[in-house]
Order: sequence, then C-alpha cells, then structure tokens
Amino acid sequence: MRIGRFEAILLLGGPVLFLVVFFVGPFLLMTVASLQAKGGAWTAAQYVKVATDAYYWEILYETFKIGLWVALVTFVMGYALAYYITFQVKSRLVRRVIYIVVVTPLFTSVIVRSFAWIVMLGRQGLVNQALQATGLVSSPLSLVYSKTGVIMGLSYVLLPFMVLTVSSILQNLNRSLLEAARDLGASPLMAFLKITFPLSLPGVIAGSLMVFTLTVSAYVTPSIMSGGRFNVMSMLIFQQYMVLFDYNFGAALAILLMVATLVLMGVYVMLLERRARAAG
Amino acid sequence: MRGSGEFLGRVAIAAASWLVVAFLVLPLAVVIGVSVTETEFLKFPPEGFSLKWYAAMLGDRTYLDAFWLSAELAAVSTGAALLLGVPAALVIARKRFRGSQALNALFLSPLVLPNIVIGVAVLQYASLMGFARGFFALLVGHIVIVIPYVMRTTLASLSGLEISYEEAAQDLGANSTATFFLVTLPQIKPGVIAGSLFAFIISWINVEVSIFNSTPLQVTLPVKIFNYVQFTVDPIIAAVSAVTIYVAILAVVLLDAVIGVEKAATGT
Repeated sequence: MRIGRFEAILLLGGPVLFLVVFFVGPFLLMTVASLQAKGGAWTAAQYVKVATDAYYWEILYETFKIGLWVALVTFVMGYALAYYITFQVKSRLVRRVIYIVVVTPLFTSVIVRSFAWIVMLGRQGLVNQALQATGLVSSPLSLVYSKTGVIMGLSYVLLPFMVLTVSSILQNLNRSLLEAARDLGASPLMAFLKITFPLSLPGVIAGSLMVFTLTVSAYVTPSIMSGGRFNVMSMLIFQQYMVLFDYNFGAALAILLMVATLVLMGVYVMLLERRARAAG
Repeated sequence: MRGSGEFLGRVAIAAASWLVVAFLVLPLAVVIGVSVTETEFLKFPPEGFSLKWYAAMLGDRTYLDAFWLSAELAAVSTGAALLLGVPAALVIARKRFRGSQALNALFLSPLVLPNIVIGVAVLQYASLMGFARGFFALLVGHIVIVIPYVMRTTLASLSGLEISYEEAAQDLGANSTATFFLVTLPQIKPGVIAGSLFAFIISWINVEVSIFNSTPLQVTLPVKIFNYVQFTVDPIIAAVSAVTIYVAILAVVLLDAVIGVEKAATGT
C-alpha cells in the first residue's frame, strides 16, 4: 500500500521513540556506567580490573569452552534429527508429531527444563538408575552439580534451535542435485558428503552460532545446575548487580561478555568464509 | 549396489533420531510424572497417583499470584508489542526510505543481545529514572524482548502479500486506514497471530529479564520457580512446573491450528 510521508512518521514515531527510550537508553547508560567509578568520575578502572585479573579470563575461557561443547553436542544430535525429519519421514502425521515434540520444550521456561534435568540427574534420578541397572556403574554418580551436567542441561535447552535451523535449510535444498549424484553412481554416503552436507552448512553455521551465543549468555541453567561449585560469566554479572550492587563493574563485565561473543562470532564466520573461498 | 549398506544407514539414522526425540520428551515427561507421586520427595517413576501436590499448589496464594502476574505481563507486553510492531513493520515493508534497513536492524536487535544484559541494563536505567522493580520496569523489559517476534512474522507475511490488492483498494478511493483494516490485516492475520503467540510465550517463560526487575512481593512464575529450585526441589514445585508444561502444549497445539507447527517452526 502507498503510505504518505506524514503517515509514515506517525506510524514509526511511537515504536522508534519507545525503543530509543527503553532499549537504546539503557544500553547507553550501561556503557557510560562501565566507564565510571562509583561516584561518577570518568575512569577505565573497571576494564583495567577485568583485564589484569586472571580470574575473569579463566571464567571467560570456561564459559566459551562450555559454549563449544554445547554447540558440538547439539550439532550431532540436531543434525541427525533434522536429516531424518526432512529426508526419511514420509508420513505427514509423524513429521508433525516430531515438530510438536521439538517445539514444546521451547515453549516451556528454561527454569522448568533445567529443573527437569536436576530430577533426571539426581542420585535417585533416571540416569543413575539406568546406569546402575545396566551395570555400567556400581554406585550413583554425582552428575547434577558438575560441568557435564551443565553441558547436558544446556544441550537439552538449546537443541530445538539447532534442529529447526538445520531442517529449514535441508527442506529448501534442491533435491534434483541429489538425484543427479545418485544417477551418476555416487553412493548414498558420497552424495551426503559431497552434496547434502556442504549445502546444509549455512544452517549448521547459523544453528551453532545461535546455540553458542545463547550458551555463553545463559544464566538460569548454569546457575542452578552448577550448585555454586563453579561460575560462568553470566553468574558473575548477576552477582555484581544483585549481591554486591556494583553496577559499574557489573556493566563492564556485561559489555565484556557481549563484545567477546561478537568478536568470536565474527572470527568464526570469517574463517568459514575463507575456507569456503579456498575450497572454491 | 544400493542394497544393504543404504538400508543400514537409514536404520541407523532413524534409530539415532528416535533416541533424540526421547531425549527431548523424557525430561518433560519426568516432571509430569513426579508431580503426581504420593511420596513426600521426588520419585520417578511415581509411587501411586495423587493430585495432592496440585491441591497444595492451589492452596498457596503466592503461586496463583505469580501465575496471574506472568499471564498479565505476557498479555500486556504482547498487546503493546502489537501496537508498536505492526505499524512499524508496515512502514518498513511498504515504504522505501533511507535508513529503513537500520531501523529494521534496531527492531530485531533485542534477539541477538543476551537477555541477561537487557535485564541488567533495564534495571540500571529504571533505578536512575525512579521506576525500578515495579510492574512498569518488568513491562518495558518484556516489550523490548518480544517486539522482534511480532516484527519478524509480520514482515514475513507482508512481504509474501500481493501489493496490487492494496493498490486496487486505494485506487478505488479507500484511505490508508480502511485499506489496512479491510485488505491488509485480514491477509496477514495468521502471521500476526503466530507472532503474538511467540511474543506471549517468550514473555511468559522469561527469567533473565524478570529476575532483575522483580521484588519478593511481585514475582513472575518462572522467577518464583527459579528462587525455589535454588534451595530445594520437591513435588510441589514439580506440580507448578507441570502446569507450565501443560500451558506450553496448549500453545503449541494452538500454533499448529493457526498456521501449522512445521511452517511456524521452520519458516517454510
């Protein structure tokens, strides 16, 4: 429809004003606070404190390591399921049921899903029961308050994103390419490695980026599944704001987390592009 | 030959996929399971069948209060996101002007920023402006995080729409308000409804923005569960959690009825 200049300003004015006041404003304030001392004097002290204390670098490193693990686990599980839904499930009903199963967790709060894993991983939980029943372990493992537990929990929480991003790419893949490869004598495995997988890479990249960024900024799952035994970046930010009431240092940590994530994502995308170019 | 190797491969992928499906279903099923146990502690498989933990939940006013606060917050922030997001999407989709891409990025950017960072930024800002830890602070934080969901589906619906219908209406003398309500809106309705449903749910399940802007007296359901689970886990919290799972199932069924879960989930 044709929209006049005056109408456009009228329609856009409210939404833009809202975001400037309640979204851009808060972020500017946070950036300013990170460059100030508690009294309001300008200083780089908050960032110097982060940069010179190895503790923060270690936590940042641990946080990113968990992010990589979760991206890897969700990739393996998610790709298999996405491939299955797209290429092997013939029944529309079955496909629909699987999509409902994938989407329902997304509509459930992260806290409920993390709670579910605490129940599953507890000493009397399902996982330990299964491990003991199969004789893999003789006494229950303490899985809840461990990094493995956090990685499991976050993989569960974020798996639907990977499945959905990969399957939306696979669905749009040009299937005649696959048929051509098969007709020319490629084995199914060869066709997958040479055609399907390379063409689905954009989905894998988008999915793993999404999972990685959501993992490194996740607060709920690590905070209840770590049982206070170790920290990740978001927990440090929470402590600064809600326990120590140091908004200035908290702001610096929040900005560090944001910038570090953006830089890492940028490097990842750049490396992939270079490889893609090299591969021709 | 294409025989057994291919068959084995297909079976292996199917088996792995059903394991993944079980991995997705099991935790939610376990929560529902332990919520009906007769024991005083979490037990799976549950012992007996009892709804006493649901009764205990209903007997505690604070859970109902948290439930209603979350519902109210989700409804109001979705309504506000519609009022702000749909007109903005309309202008961005239909009018060429300098900076429209930048505006689009601005509206969608809350999607890529960590929720915890949005939460602390709103807390800090609200403290300075004097509205910290009230319904208003919760509300603006939630509107910011749900606007992108409304914008995204509305923009997608608008771009798939034949512009000539709108132009015909305008050529025949309808003003732009009438054109929007009589021609455009009826056609983008499924997208707008799906976007609202996403927005509602994103607000309904949020912890990270709410936790910085709640008080002990004004706490959303997910934050209440979060605070509880940090200290103890027992069947009553399983019952509360199970209720949120029922809400999720209901929402997914609704979404499936409106535009189909597959289309909504993959955008194809």
